[in-house]
Amino acid sequence: MITEKIRAAAKELLEKGEVETVIGWERGTFWYNSTPVFISKPEQADRLVFDDFCANNLAKYLLDYRNADGKIAVFVKGCDARAITRLIQDNQVKREKVYLIGIPCTGMKEAPKTVSSQDVAGLPLLAKCQSCATPNPVIYDILLGDPVPQKEVGNRFAGVEALEAKGADEKYEHWGKLFSECIRCYACRNVCPACNCRECAFDANGLNWLGKQNNLQENQMFNMTRAMHVAGRCIECGECERVCPMGLPLMDINRKIIKDLNELFGSYDAGLNLEDRPPLGQYKLDDPEKFM
Amino acid sequence: MSLNTEALPKSQEVTASPEAAPQPWEPRIVGFACNWCTYAGADLAGLSRLQYPPSIRLIRVPCSGRVNPQFVIRAFQRGADGVLVAGCHPGDCHYSTGNYFTRRRFLLMQRLLEYMGMDPRRFQARWISGSEGPKFQQTVTQMTEDIKALGPNRKMRDVE
Repeated sequence: MITEKIRAAAKELLEKGEVETVIGWERGTFWYNSTPVFISKPEQADRLVFDDFCANNLAKYLLDYRNADGKIAVFVKGCDARAITRLIQDNQVKREKVYLIGIPCTGMKEAPKTVSSQDVAGLPLLAKCQSCATPNPVIYDILLGDPVPQKEVGNRFAGVEALEAKGADEKYEHWGKLFSECIRCYACRNVCPACNCRECAFDANGLNWLGKQNNLQENQMFNMTRAMHVAGRCIECGECERVCPMGLPLMDINRKIIKDLNELFGSYDAGLNLEDRPPLGQYKLDDPEKFM
Repeated sequence: MSLNTEALPKSQEVTASPEAAPQPWEPRIVGFACNWCTYAGADLAGLSRLQYPPSIRLIRVPCSGRVNPQFVIRAFQRGADGVLVAGCHPGDCHYSTGNYFTRRRFLLMQRLLEYMGMDPRRFQARWISGSEGPKFQQTVTQMTEDIKALGPNRKMRDVE
């Protein structure tokens, strides 16, 4: 049982004093939500769980421990591990300051529509887990459990290609309808492991990067700018889409950028390899020359 | 980053008297010109008395790599019908590598704009060196003609 294993691992690390904090998941208010937990004493290790609802990406919390003295242990699923690679590449955390406990993940479940029956097996996988390409962590110190086989995922760009085929006005209408629903709560930014700037352009008041009014134009500005900011660094964890309270298909934008980057500058998957540099942070002399 | 047209004095905007015949629509193009090449190229076009449409408004930037994708979106928001980013030819950048990054960034940006429903012809990037006055003239003329054919931009716009 994986929960026992993670409790034992956390307990051991804290007892030995190897790490000062362990970031994991605990049982939330309801049986279908498991929330992040931060423990620093061995006796608290029994609060940790790993079940079908640990969708939260814990990597982002490391930013709160940037100045911690000791090591921080984090449980990482496949997508979380890519996020850790992202943060290390962005110089936000140091590899030697984190202890990564890898957990192979078969996918997380959606919260049920009704709460009466506790039928976990019957619940569908989260959208982000259905197209998961990395169920096993790509970076870890210890791995709990055996690696799981990778699922057969179809063409992840199918949605993007369908949109690309539409006419210009049709596309504009499609996005306009979606962006006018955006309430600019910035949940997508707050959860995104690629959005790790100390001060975000959207929070800067005086610089006029983004107006404060909630209208279509400013929402377009926000969403397009965010797409360009995370371009080449998006790890396709799908967290933005999962946390969006308006249910906007934000990965359609991020996947479009990834598709174009792959077409233009060669295949690249962010967060898989520490040595690879993001495509917009480098150049080649023989890049496609469409401009004269 | 002050593309706010409201900041302009009103007298500059209203030139025709009410009873004059309505002027034919002229596109407004915002051009970001690199200080070292394109700005000098535009200067040369002027010195050589080359005629080009007055539709372009040049904004001088230290390097085409200075141009943030947000500048482009904001220009469209504030009423630009087209945006041109122009800088040194690859290999000639005053800062050695700035325009290589520009090339990657705006290839991506142009495709994103197209995906969002903008006509990609409204956003262009060109390499114009300091000795290419005629190329500056041709670029502006061509872009103005293209945008005239497309008509005024209504997308992403928040001013009338």
